[in-house]
Amino acid sequence: MAETAGNKTARLFAELHEGEVDLAQHYRRVAERQAADHGTHYPCRSLAQQCDEHAARVRELAPRYGEHLAPPRRSERLDAAVGAVRQKASERAGTRPDAGLLLLRDLRELFLAAQGVHLDWVLLGQVAQAARDEELLADVSKLHAQTLSQVRWIETRVKSAAPQALVAD
Amino acid sequence: MTSRVTDVWGERTPYGPGDPWPERVDQHLTVDAARVERWVPSACVLCSNGCGMDVAVADGRVVGVRGRAEDRVNRGRLGPKGLYGWQANHSADRLTRPLVRVDGELRPADWDAAMAVVVERSRAVLDEHGPLSMAFYTSGQLFAEEYYAQALIARGGIGTPHLDGNTRLCTATSEWALVESFGSDGGPGSYEDVDLCDTLFVVGHNPAETQTVQWARMLDRLHGVARPRLIVVDPRVTATARQADVHLRLKPGTNVALLNALLHELIRADRIDHAFVRDHTVGFEELRETVAPYTPEKAEEICGVPAEQVREAARILGDAERLVSTVLQGVYQSHQATAAAVQVNNVNLVRGMIGRPGCTVFQMNGQPTAQNTREAGANGTMPGFRNWQNDTHMAELARLWNVEPSRIPHWAPPTHVMEMFRYIETGSIRFLWVTATNPAVSLPELRRIRRIVREAGLFLVVSDAFLTETAQLADVVLPAALWAEKTGCFTNADRTVHLSEKAVEPPGEARSDFDVLLDYARRMDLRDRDGGPLITWERPEDAWRDFTEMTRGRPCDQSALTYDTLRGSGGVQWPVTEEAPEGTARLYTDHHFPTHPEHVEDYGHDIVGGAQYDADTYRAHDAAGRAFLKAAPYQPPHEPVDDDYPLQLTTGRTVHHFHTRTKTARSPELQEAAPEMWIELTPQDAEPHGIADGDLVRVYSRRGELSAPAVLRGNRPGVVFAPFHYGYWDEAEPGRHIRAANELTRTEWDPVSKQPLFKQTAVRIEKVADARDVAPGRY
Ligand code: SF4
Repeated sequence: MAETAGNKTARLFAELHEGEVDLAQHYRRVAERQAADHGTHYPCRSLAQQCDEHAARVRELAPRYGEHLAPPRRSERLDAAVGAVRQKASERAGTRPDAGLLLLRDLRELFLAAQGVHLDWVLLGQVAQAARDEELLADVSKLHAQTLSQVRWIETRVKSAAPQALVAD
Repeated sequence: MTSRVTDVWGERTPYGPGDPWPERVDQHLTVDAARVERWVPSACVLCSNGCGMDVAVADGRVVGVRGRAEDRVNRGRLGPKGLYGWQANHSADRLTRPLVRVDGELRPADWDAAMAVVVERSRAVLDEHGPLSMAFYTSGQLFAEEYYAQALIARGGIGTPHLDGNTRLCTATSEWALVESFGSDGGPGSYEDVDLCDTLFVVGHNPAETQTVQWARMLDRLHGVARPRLIVVDPRVTATARQADVHLRLKPGTNVALLNALLHELIRADRIDHAFVRDHTVGFEELRETVAPYTPEKAEEICGVPAEQVREAARILGDAERLVSTVLQGVYQSHQATAAAVQVNNVNLVRGMIGRPGCTVFQMNGQPTAQNTREAGANGTMPGFRNWQNDTHMAELARLWNVEPSRIPHWAPPTHVMEMFRYIETGSIRFLWVTATNPAVSLPELRRIRRIVREAGLFLVVSDAFLTETAQLADVVLPAALWAEKTGCFTNADRTVHLSEKAVEPPGEARSDFDVLLDYARRMDLRDRDGGPLITWERPEDAWRDFTEMTRGRPCDQSALTYDTLRGSGGVQWPVTEEAPEGTARLYTDHHFPTHPEHVEDYGHDIVGGAQYDADTYRAHDAAGRAFLKAAPYQPPHEPVDDDYPLQLTTGRTVHHFHTRTKTARSPELQEAAPEMWIELTPQDAEPHGIADGDLVRVYSRRGELSAPAVLRGNRPGVVFAPFHYGYWDEAEPGRHIRAANELTRTEWDPVSKQPLFKQTAVRIEKVADARDVAPGRY
């Protein structure tokens, strides 16, 4: 199967991997920016972790399709920043009146990035079916469902935050 | 009688399975019995057990209490708080006049003037910034009629989504665990199931201290013939745990891993009721897959509990024929709260042990009237367990209230209190009215809370009987009548409703919250869609009639429950309908659950991450009257212990106090029994610091610090315990904020129930002084 799937599938693995790695970074950045918004900060940290796990699983699966993916070099600077934020989480400003709008902007970017990853999982699911790769399909179903939950979480957060950010002043 | 402060559970009255729990009448009178003029039926409001009691009155004052022998909840018994707590009503520092802040100082005012200030500011904020700038934070200690008035005013009158109860801190997870598994709030069991069970599975619940009369019932079974087996899950060696056959002394925050391992073992040993699972649940396959990796060895690794103990507990659960499980704060206020509480439901569901005598799960409540906050929609749900995403439900509510459906905010779930404080912080909530609760001591990370209230330019109204830490920050303080000084109903953790009638007049000018809310609605000129007054009630009984009518057809149907039925009864369990006028002992006896899409209270969540499901997603997996088995993998906590903060803080309750001691510290016996804050350490953790019993220690977290004498106890090493009751109002230097446990706690909450994680904080300790160098009360 791996032979017939060829380069195109390998590229899909690479894209999905990059998507998960980027999304993880994205969640971490939002967690950092929204340190005072605890209803965003902690879930984003969990979701970043989940993306890390997804990326790791993609790296395990990819070689069977001829793609060897290197783990991302974790940005130490970012890790340190998250650490620092954790210490001062609630002391940070984050009290500006436009905090709600900034939150919506962050969530919007996350939503788009997560949608991209969602689509890549759809593609990989189709590949797994066409290649009759049951093992891959099982993994894809599980991880894709988690990505969909991520999208749904972002939507949940947007829905509850939007009225206060846009209507109240 | 004073010995009942130490003899907490009283004399044993052992009994066997299926026997009625013997009566034992407890009483405390402060005058000669001959002087008692009247006994007024009521129930205790100092925990969620809801023990029936009669209030003794002489010369227009409460002079004592007596347990009601005919009451189904307590059969005459009262615990220390029930016996002595009422004396707070007579405390000399009761608020007797409204206070209004003038030139930075709270000064006495008359009601007219104080309400005028409240109404003027409400109007100004509403006119200028709209309803989203108004917020209300209520309690778990008022009556159903008061919550319903509050919900109608906030949701139907002002039209704000910002109404929550302090039930968010104590029972939000109970509510959501029930909703996620069974489709609706409402504890399925009856306390009589304790009389009938052969196994008790007590998870993160210390009834010996938090619900002492409930524990007396369990203890009587444990001392009787055919003793039930007892499994306790708790990091601390509590009085409850000491009676256990198996005590799983797990690491705080690892409930899900442990429960998954128990489920794993039940499945491995095939202790599953397959017919029940097939006919009455959905989701078993996913549950099986999710718990598959959680071997007892894996649980040992994550939870620090010996694998053999996990196996032993699973064997007991697997052998149980009548299993009663109970859950409280050790789950609700810990990491992955809802996910863990749901796994306890799953244990009962896969064993087919629900809706039958002796078989149930109690997702317990903390506060006495929390159930009513939830039923009335005064917390983060809609009245009558209605689904905010279901337009039919919302139209029905709008019709009952005679307002436009669009008036009632239902574009998102009602705002929870932690989010409200975020909106206050960012300036979009400008008016907050706090009723019968004390967020300045009970919310997490108090330094943050004080900063927000101080800096945000908030207008704060506080209704209370005392000048609490929160009231001291207020712009207007309204003096409230207490229990026994007003009439209303409330419901305990097994759906038992009591009517508590006014026995005496409130002191001075204090008024019931019910009267104050009605006055506010009148002065605000809140109207229905036809231009009539939004609220037409005069007395609590009028509100009760509308409230019970509002529940008609919903899972908490009380449409046939009247004051007359309740008056002098031994407690009545809802649903109470024309078909079941005497009430209903157990829910789901036909194993049909309220999960139908038209009926369900909420479409539910992803219990791991908290994403909300919508109608389409829900319908796609229509459970059609079956219960949900929702699975969750264990996730590591966000703030694990590390080198800087190597110990794990868990906060909690003690037997002699309730909430922030507003009442219990004003009862001489209770105050004397536990006058001072303390910190519980294990000898292993104390030793390297040279800390001995009674030494003054300081505890630091990343959020704050506190100082108190150490008490050494054999809990799980690495675990530090601090009671959450102690604040500052009775401190010599109330401005020195180093006493309240919530100085240390963090601002994080469960993604589903939004209950703060009070039991998940990394801390370090340091010795300050030897015991002998610390003058009592001076530290
Ligand atoms: S168990 Fe609870 S309700 Fe009963 S007397 Fe004690 S505090 Fe009151």
